[in-house]
Formats: sequence, structure tokens, C-alpha cells
Amino acid sequence: MLKTLIRRELLDNLMTSRFAAVLLITLLLVVANTVVLIQDYEQRLESYNGAIRTHYQELRAAKTYSTMAILVDRAPNPLSIFNVGLDKRLGNLVGIYHGFMPTLWNAQMHGTDNPFIAFFSLIDIVFIFEVVLSLMGLIFAYDAIAGERERGTLRLVLAQPIGRGQILLAKYISAMACLLVPLILSLLFALLLLMRSIPLSTADFLRIAGIVFASFAYLSLFYLIGLLISVATRRTGTALMLAMFVWGFLILVYPNLIRATVNPGGDIQARTKIVEDQIQQILDEYERERQKFLEKEGIAGETSEFSKALGLHSYAFVDPVTLMSYVENISLISEIHPEFEQYAPSAKRYYNFVEPLSARTVEKTWHIRKQALDEIYVRQAETDRVLLKFSPVGVYDAATQAWAGTDLEGVRDFFSTARRYRKAVIDYLYAKEAFSSREWFIADKGAVDWSTLPQFTFERSTVGTNAKRALPDMFLLLICNLALFMLIVLIFMKSEV
Amino acid sequence: MWHITKREIYDNLNSLRFALTTVLLLALMVTNAVRHIREHPKRVQTYRDAVTESSARLTAHADGSLYKLAQYGPGNFYKKPSSLHFCANGGESILPDTIKVGDPPVFATDSENRVILQGVWSLSYPDANLQNKNVGPKVSQVDWAFIIGSILSLIALWFTFDAFSGERERGTLRLMLANSIPRHTVLIGKFFGALISISIPFALAALVNLLLISTASTVHLTTEAWGRLGIIFALALLYTSLFVALGLLVSARVQQSAVSLMILLLMWVTLVVFMPSTLASIASSFSPATSFDEFWKQRNPIEEDLWDKYDEWLWSSKVDDKTLRGKSAFFTENAEREERRHEERLRYRSSQVYRARAITSISPATLLQHLIEGFAGTGFERHLQFVENTQRYARQLREFVADTDRADPESPHILGVREGMSKKFITPESVPRFEDTLNLSRDFNTAAMELLLLTLFVLVLLSGAYLAFVRVEV
Repeated sequence: MLKTLIRRELLDNLMTSRFAAVLLITLLLVVANTVVLIQDYEQRLESYNGAIRTHYQELRAAKTYSTMAILVDRAPNPLSIFNVGLDKRLGNLVGIYHGFMPTLWNAQMHGTDNPFIAFFSLIDIVFIFEVVLSLMGLIFAYDAIAGERERGTLRLVLAQPIGRGQILLAKYISAMACLLVPLILSLLFALLLLMRSIPLSTADFLRIAGIVFASFAYLSLFYLIGLLISVATRRTGTALMLAMFVWGFLILVYPNLIRATVNPGGDIQARTKIVEDQIQQILDEYERERQKFLEKEGIAGETSEFSKALGLHSYAFVDPVTLMSYVENISLISEIHPEFEQYAPSAKRYYNFVEPLSARTVEKTWHIRKQALDEIYVRQAETDRVLLKFSPVGVYDAATQAWAGTDLEGVRDFFSTARRYRKAVIDYLYAKEAFSSREWFIADKGAVDWSTLPQFTFERSTVGTNAKRALPDMFLLLICNLALFMLIVLIFMKSEV
Repeated sequence: MWHITKREIYDNLNSLRFALTTVLLLALMVTNAVRHIREHPKRVQTYRDAVTESSARLTAHADGSLYKLAQYGPGNFYKKPSSLHFCANGGESILPDTIKVGDPPVFATDSENRVILQGVWSLSYPDANLQNKNVGPKVSQVDWAFIIGSILSLIALWFTFDAFSGERERGTLRLMLANSIPRHTVLIGKFFGALISISIPFALAALVNLLLISTASTVHLTTEAWGRLGIIFALALLYTSLFVALGLLVSARVQQSAVSLMILLLMWVTLVVFMPSTLASIASSFSPATSFDEFWKQRNPIEEDLWDKYDEWLWSSKVDDKTLRGKSAFFTENAEREERRHEERLRYRSSQVYRARAITSISPATLLQHLIEGFAGTGFERHLQFVENTQRYARQLREFVADTDRADPESPHILGVREGMSKKFITPESVPRFEDTLNLSRDFNTAAMELLLLTLFVLVLLSGAYLAFVRVEV
């Protein structure tokens, strides 16, 4: 009996004009946008490769350790085609230096785009699904029960020896089977286009599978919302109108409204000022120790012979906005005058003392900074995200971002790798005894050999990590589905025909 | 006809959709007003502080010799925030609000770091702001442009999808057409009925919004601003009538109202949600942008060429007429070239934006967005207007310096060099000041094209609806 019902529903759904219309629109939108998105991705990849080349040359150009310029770049994520998330927005270029801790807030962009074009936001595949799948779900569901009730066929079906729950199940299964056709078909087209120009790994396919699963759950959620409306109303006209109102509210109004009503919390400036002062204290402490060392060596004073001999530029500062703390001691000379040669041993001792000290100093400031930055910038964004999750759009967006690895966590992975790389570079410098070497400040007896420097590599997190990050939202989607279905069954059981 | 309109309005006023629409629009408009009241004073304060500082710099430069003013020029220029910011946000977070007046470039110093060769000021246009510190979710601003462009258009379809198909289903269409009313009267009656029923909740919500904003002590709306608001309201009506006409057209052609709504929804999604962004990204991928590195690379050969040209004058410490004229020409030419290069870059970028805008104008939603931005005094058009204002002022200030110098008979009239300029003292009060202004008639001129296009869309759709309804069998 269930089978008969499913077959009937399936045929009913497939032969309608709405199915054809939905299929056409989805295919058209996904294919057109995928082409544009791939082009955009390739442009970004090109600019990334160009940046890598330039930075490699820049590193080679540094003759001494103290003037080294290691810059690392973040490659564009190929899955940003599905959900661009923060991949394009956040910085993709950050410096590695022992006197500086790289964070998201200090990263820059190596992009060559026209930033004014950012007016016209690029849409990704998940955005198309957000709008179209939800509409599809509601369009297929609004007359499922109300329509049969109006036509009188509901009585006929219920006269058969079949449970009401089964009727709903049959409707659900067949409608979802139909709705999956445009979803899968458009995704296949997108993948086909993708694979032609972008190499995807097995892990990427698994991530895409995760995105498809999330899309499925999202679609089903909206179908169930439509079904709920259909069960609860008498007439199709009312059902359709309500469905449309709910759609407009959930997709269009709520996500934009919530951001506008939430007040950006607290006095950011005051908070930043406190942390800035704290960091400044640590930097002052560093400066005192540095001066103490210089005095002990008898080479103190900014205009001292020693400073002049080395062309020493020394600063330690904290940026009042991003709280970036930066400690630097560069020697900008190409040769030492013979009369200054006597300072060379002091210089070795100086750098051997001051560079490990500056590395320690910025590590100390890092803990204070991290907490403050999280409080100032990240917490507000997290609150917004949680509030957004009251609409299925927010949950779906978060889940697919986590799968694609373009969420905040995914981008932060890059910066923690960059920090680990900084540690590795410092270890390398220790191992080479670079701090106490002559090449640290002067290249007259041979330039630094950079060939053994550890290479920076960044691997996106594993599929397991992606899945773990997506799990809460996936669960939320599934639970909402189940709860809604149960609610619908309950209402349908109690309703009169 | 009036009868039909009245019937439609009564019908609509009692319906569920009218109540839902009113609540929705009120909620959106109140949010918009609250946000504006909260944020606008901050914007104004920031602007005032910046202007005060910039004006203090000009005063400092103009207090004393004319040469100092000619060399350092004015302070930076700041864009005045529009009091109608709540109508259209216009991507203000992306657009820079400053035009910088660079410090005079130092061409050479001696061994003790004293400047021996220094040029004159020039304008430079900062690039768009990057959003690389914002980790929040992507959302659009709830401004009037969004409320009208997305929500009101959806509501228009919501009110008209069953205009004919619903009556046909209920059988009342036959009844109405059996009377001696011509079909076009029925259509026009329906059209105005729907338009007025939508305008009522919108006008109500807009009034509440404006009431909140105008009673807030921190925000002031001038008479001109009210005029602009009137235009924006008229635009909203024009735009809504476009979607009303679309709804009537589809409703007349389709037998079932459910199918009609579905078709309309899919059309709406395409027109309002997808067309603007997809078309823009296609358009922007046509022409690659120049990177900052390339920009710097272009600069170097130009400079060298200039150095060669004036080499013989630059290093001489003589103060005779010829040397001074050589130096002066070098400085002015350098500043001019610098400015031209920045300007070209800006022009290149804006031509890209214009191309994307032209292509996206197929979508009425984008047309409306541009129009509201234009009249609210925000967005890209306004930014270019600001750039123009500063350029005009820069010319004015340079002329002022030249005129003041010319008025002094003792001066050798060689601008940009200390020894070649008037030694008379000037006072800060005599120097012209910069004021960023908006010009309504100019806004009208730039908007005329888009306005015509939107009207054309409405007319085409209306006549389409008429033809469809006249030919339809009941």
C-alpha cells in the first residue's frame, strides 16, 4: 500500500509544471554561477602563485638574518566555490618574524582585484541553494494535504486501510525523491565543470558529500515546514500565502534584521586601551632589559658609536587598533668601517641577548592579545552566528562552511600553522646559532644561505576535523527535521477530514 | 473604475496578507530607524572631528608665508555623511571617506638629514577599504533600498498573484465582465487597487520610521532632505507598480492562482536575488584590474624621465630666475603627474564599476538600488561627486595662491619655490575653505537614464498585462 501511494505521489509530482520550472531555474543558476566562480577561483590562484614567487625572491634578496623577510601566503580554497565564507574576505598574506606573532588581524591581501567591485557580492552555490531549495520545498509541500482536502481525495485515501502516518511518510518520501533530482543534477553539472579545471582530492569529494548531505537536510526541513502549513490550513490559497510569508521571513527578513537589532557590545575602545597599556608595559620591560644590557656592555645610547656602526634601527611598538606588538632590531649597513670593527664582538653578544628576548616578549604579549582580540572581534561575530541559527539558513550556512573549511576555524588553522612555522624558524635560527653569528647583522663575510630554511606548508584540516566542526549544525538540522515531522504527524492525526 | 478600485482595496484591507504585510514592514522600518538614530550621531561626530583637524592643518599652513601654503596645501578632505544614510547604505563601509593630501615629497636631503629639495602637495585617492578584519556573518543592511527592493516587490506579487486567476477560480470574473465595463477599466481598477493597498502599509511604516528619526534630537533633516525623501517615496511607488504589473500579467495568463504565484516567485528570485550579483561578476571578469605593484612600476619610468629633463636646474643652489623657474616647473609637473596617475587609476576602476552597473541595470532591483543611492547621497556616484568636489577645491586653492602672488608686485611670480614667491604675510581667514556639498539637480541628471529605464519597464509590463487580459477567455 505504501508503495502504491509513493508511486502515485511521485508521478503526481514529476508531471507538473512546477517540477520543470524548478529544475530549469536551478540548473541555469548553478551552471551560470559555477562558471563565474571557477573563473574567480583561478584568478585568485594565479595571484597566489604570483605572490609566492615574489616572496621567495624577496627572501633570497635578504643578505643578513636581521633583515630577513619571510612572508607566507594562504592559497584559495577550491571549495570556496560551494560556500565562500570568509575565504575571500580575510587576509591571505602574513609575515613570519621572531619579533612578531602572526594573527588574522595583521594579515594582508595579495589580491589584485578591483576592491570597488566588492559592491557586487559574488554568490556561491550554497547561496543559490539557500534561496532556491527552500522555495522548492515549500512549493512542493503547500498543497500536499490542503490540496487533497480541497479536492476531496483525502477522504478517499483515508477510507483505505492505511495509517495516517504512512500517508505522510509516502508524501514525504516521494516529494523528497523529486526534489533531489534538481539538487543532484545541478551539483553534478557543477562538479563536471569543476573537475575540468580544478583538481579535487578524495578528501574534497568527501567534503562535498557533506555539503550535499547538509543541503538535503535543509531542503527536507523546508519541505516539512510547508507540510506543516499544509496540514494546519484548510485551503491551498491560505497555505500558499502563509508558506510564502514564512519563506520571506526566514530567508530574507530575519537574517538581515537580527544583525541590525543586536547592539555591538560594550565599549571597544576602552577595552582596547586597557590591553594596549598592558602590552606597552611588557614592551617597556623589554626596553629596560635591553638598555640594561647595553649599559653593562658600555655601548648605550641611541646615537652611540655602536648604534652608528651597526646602522641599528630598534623599535618596539603596539598598534592601538589591532593590538599588534612588534619588536625589531635591524642593522642596515652593507659594510663595517675598519674603525668600527672593534664593535663586532659586542654586536654578536647584543643580538644573542636581544633577539631571544624579543621573541619571548612577543610571546608574552600574545596571550594577552589573543584573549582581547577574541573578546573584541570574535565574540560579537559568534553571537551573531548563534542568533542567525534561529533561521534554518543560518544553520545550513554554518554547516556547509564547516564542511568547505571556509569558516572562521578553517581560516584560523592557517594562522596557527603560521605561528607553528614561526616557532620552527626560531628553532632553526637557534640550531644555526644565527643570533650570535656575524651574518646576523652584516653580510661582508658572506651572505646568509637560505636554502636550508624550513619550508612553509599549509594543509587544510582533515575531513574528520571538518566533520567534527560541522557536526553540531548537522545534528541541529536533523533534530529540527525529526521534531517537525513528529509535530506534523500529531497534527494530522488529530485533524478532521 | 473607481468602484473596482474601491472594492479591491476593501477586499485587501480585510485580508490576512494585509495584516502580515503591515507587521512586517513596521518591524523593518522601526529597526531601520533605531539603527540610524544609534549610529548616525557617531558618523557625524567622526566627520566633525576629522574636519576640525583638517581645518586646523590648513590654518597652520596658511598662517605665515604664501610659500608654506603653496607647498603644504590644505589638510585631508573628508566625505560628509549623508543624513539620508538610512535610505541606502550604498556600500559605505567599502568606499573610502577620505581623500589624502600628501605631504610635499622630499627629493633630496644632505648628510645631516636636512631637506634640500622638496616639492609641492598633490591629491591622492585611497583604495576601497578591505573587509579583512570583519569575521562576522555576511548580511545586508536593512535600509530603505532593501525594504523596497526586496520586500516591497515580494509583497506586490503577493497582492496580485490571484488578481485574475483567483477570480476566475471563484467564478466572479465572469460576473464582473458580464457587466458593461470595458476590460481595460477592470485592469486599471485592479492595478490601482493593488498599488494603493500596498502603499497604505508602506506609507504607514515609512511615516513611523520618519517620525522616529525626525523626533530624535541627534538627527536633523533639512528641507532638501525631505524633498529627497519625497522623491524616494515616489520611486518606491514606481518600482512597486512594476511588480504589480508583472503580477497582473502572469495572473491573467495563468489559469490557477497557485501556479501563477509559483511562476512569479521564480521570476522574482531571478530578477531580484540572482541577476544583480551574477551579472556583475560576469561583467567584472571581463577586464582584469591592475595590481598595486604594477601601479608602482608605472611610476618609476615617469619619474626618471622628469629627473633627466630638469637635471641641470635641480642641483644648483643659485637663486637666479632660470634655476628657480626650472625647479618650479619640476615641482608642479611632478605634482601634476602624481595626481594624474592617481586619477587614471581611479578612473580605470570606476569604469569597471560602471560597466558592471550598466549590465546589471537589466534587473529592476539594481536600478532601484542605484536610484535610491543617488537620491540619498550615498554610494558610488556620490563618492565620485565627492572626488570632483575636492578636485574643484584643489584648483580653487591653487588659483588663490597664484592670484595672491600676482597681486604682489615685488614677487618674481615663480610658484612652488621659496625664493620665487611673494613674501607678504597671509591670514588663514582669507583662504577659501572646502565644503562637501550635494547637488539635487545633478543627482537628477545622473539618475535620468535609470529613471527612464525603470518607467519603460513599468509601461512595457503594463501594456503586456493589458494585452494578456484583453485576449484571455473567461
